[in-house]
Amino acid sequence: MNPINTAIQNGQAALSEYQSKKYLGSFGIPVTREEIVQSSDEAIRVSATIGFPVALKACSPELMHKSETGCIELGLTTPEAVQSAYKRVIEKTSLPLEGVLVQEMLQGPREIVVGFTRDPQFGACVMLGYGGVMAEILKDTVFRIAPFDKIEAMDMIDELKSRAMLDTFRGQQPADLDTICRILMSMGQIGIQQPLIKEIDINPLMISPTGQVKAADALIILERK
Amino acid sequence: MVVSLSESPLYPIANPKSIAFFGASNNFSSMGTSILRSIISNGFIGKLYPIHPQEKTVLNLTAYPQVLDIPEPADMAFIVLPTKIVAQTLAACGEKGIRNAVIVSAGFNEVGGEGVERQAELLEIANRYGIRFTGPNCIGVVNSHARLNATFLPFEGKPGFIGMASQSGSFITQMFSYLNQRFGKSFSTGFSLGNEADIDLVDCIEYLGACPNTKVIALYIESIRRGQKLIETARNVSKHKPIVAFYVGGSETGKRACLSHTGSLAGPDRLYDGVFRQSGIIRAQSIEEMFDFCYALGSSPLPKGNRVIIQTHSGGPGAAAADACGRSGLELPALSTETLEKIAPYVPHTASVNNPVDLTFTKNPLDFFHRIPKILLEEEASDGMLIYFLASERMVRQALTGMGLPEDAVQDQTAQIVDSQCQSVASLMETFKKPILGFSFMTRDNHFVAGLQDRGIPVLPSPERAARAFGAMVRYTRFREKILQSETESAGHFSAE
Repeated sequence: MNPINTAIQNGQAALSEYQSKKYLGSFGIPVTREEIVQSSDEAIRVSATIGFPVALKACSPELMHKSETGCIELGLTTPEAVQSAYKRVIEKTSLPLEGVLVQEMLQGPREIVVGFTRDPQFGACVMLGYGGVMAEILKDTVFRIAPFDKIEAMDMIDELKSRAMLDTFRGQQPADLDTICRILMSMGQIGIQQPLIKEIDINPLMISPTGQVKAADALIILERK
Repeated sequence: MVVSLSESPLYPIANPKSIAFFGASNNFSSMGTSILRSIISNGFIGKLYPIHPQEKTVLNLTAYPQVLDIPEPADMAFIVLPTKIVAQTLAACGEKGIRNAVIVSAGFNEVGGEGVERQAELLEIANRYGIRFTGPNCIGVVNSHARLNATFLPFEGKPGFIGMASQSGSFITQMFSYLNQRFGKSFSTGFSLGNEADIDLVDCIEYLGACPNTKVIALYIESIRRGQKLIETARNVSKHKPIVAFYVGGSETGKRACLSHTGSLAGPDRLYDGVFRQSGIIRAQSIEEMFDFCYALGSSPLPKGNRVIIQTHSGGPGAAAADACGRSGLELPALSTETLEKIAPYVPHTASVNNPVDLTFTKNPLDFFHRIPKILLEEEASDGMLIYFLASERMVRQALTGMGLPEDAVQDQTAQIVDSQCQSVASLMETFKKPILGFSFMTRDNHFVAGLQDRGIPVLPSPERAARAFGAMVRYTRFREKILQSETESAGHFSAE
């Protein structure tokens, strides 16, 4: 069954980070390598497979803004660090957890945000912006109404005030703009095809020093019945 | 998309051969009378049928007790009646065979409650008879090329090229004198939309897009009802005709409870920015700017790029223009050696031949209008010019008097010289197909300003406004290229499949 319908039947208001990324990944949107674990032993084993350093995050559909609650531990380089971080993460919240998410650490520092929302007049709206925790402070965001083509997606990128960050920037290579365009178009397509999705955040979409883009965090908000 | 203009429901409204007019009387202070008087005094050439229950004549026109009595089904009904009798009047028009209407009367959706029901009733009647209408709660329509002014203020000026659709009631009619007195310009056609119960902004964009007298479209927007359709229509129109919009961000549709960053960032203002850019619509930040942009876009050839040469003979305005260019995304290229060599004989030693080209004074004052701009237009590093105009008729007159000409010859020759200089600048723009935007702190009282404007050189009231208008032309060029490129590519995909 479609994960969106399942989640709605379970009474969820949103998909967890893990579920959100699985769903977005199925549309070809690049996401972090990650696994859900239920114990610290398992966390250590998975960390070794993914490769250090890793991030640990408490995972639950009810946990929408993890960094605000401290349920997130970044840059863990050893099995010991993973073990103690696991304990801290699950103690920080009293919510029922789907598990703890062990995921690869992405290198920044460039971060953008890609999102989707619905407007009563225009329908499916896709957003691109300067990302990370400062997104709502800087408000360097641009919108388009889906569907749109790659030329329009490229125009969104060109409209950003922080556009220059996506070129060669402080020793880092230009961002993979083709993939960013593809992600923007996919966001619109997802929104058009799946009316039960109300909003999507991919924040941040990290840009590596070599220019590759990957979703470090994602959230899908569902329409309430 | 309308294939031809006459297919649009707005065609009979903007080009009626006959009007059934409801709500005019011999009471000079009523809104209806005032609008009918505008129609008459503007020299409307079609038939006018005032309908009045008691009067035998209204403003010296034969009046009819009811619409069924008029000799033909008029092209348009114009209704300025008390709210309660609008619906029955519209139905009577339907019975008579009238299929288009402008409903000025208020008291519908905008007042809520019963008003909403009354508006639904209007729509139901319109659907029953196949009537298309603007309003209710609008101010009318103007078509300067058909001598139609169905608004309450007198029309000023010559037939113009700005097509306008406005969601603000009487905004259109208030702009008659502004456009005429500042720029010597006017609307080609203007629609006031009111509540948009039937005909809306999208219909107007389609109509004005096809209207041959309209070179540029101005939109005053408070809210958009058919979002997707607007984008589709505007993209189609903006390929061949610029659209400029002023949006007043009143509607806070984006301010719903949002759990995501995206939702909370999607305020209407940012959203409309994206919608306009996607549609190829240039967004203006003020009413003044909207008309500056329309004026420039409707007058000049489009710039190929964003490189501008500023010509001035005063440092301050030139520097202000240079500064504003930077903030409008324009570049000031350095002049090539070739250009510098060509220009040298015409400029005094005190002049700074950089960009801005500040001439302080010219050896021959008239070089400012021909030889110098010609050389600067030939410069390949530039896509257009901003020129500061400060010359006055008095300077020409003094020079002629100084040459010992008799008084009446001075008068004649002054007028001729001013005229030929203005014509010279206009011819340069025509020849080089590069935009020239003038700016001056003088108004149309100055014959150079009026002369340039009347020959098609836009002259704006400040360096900043001229620079921003140039920036808007560059933006339009880019939006248009983007849309055309997108079409070419999608056509390519189809043929490949």
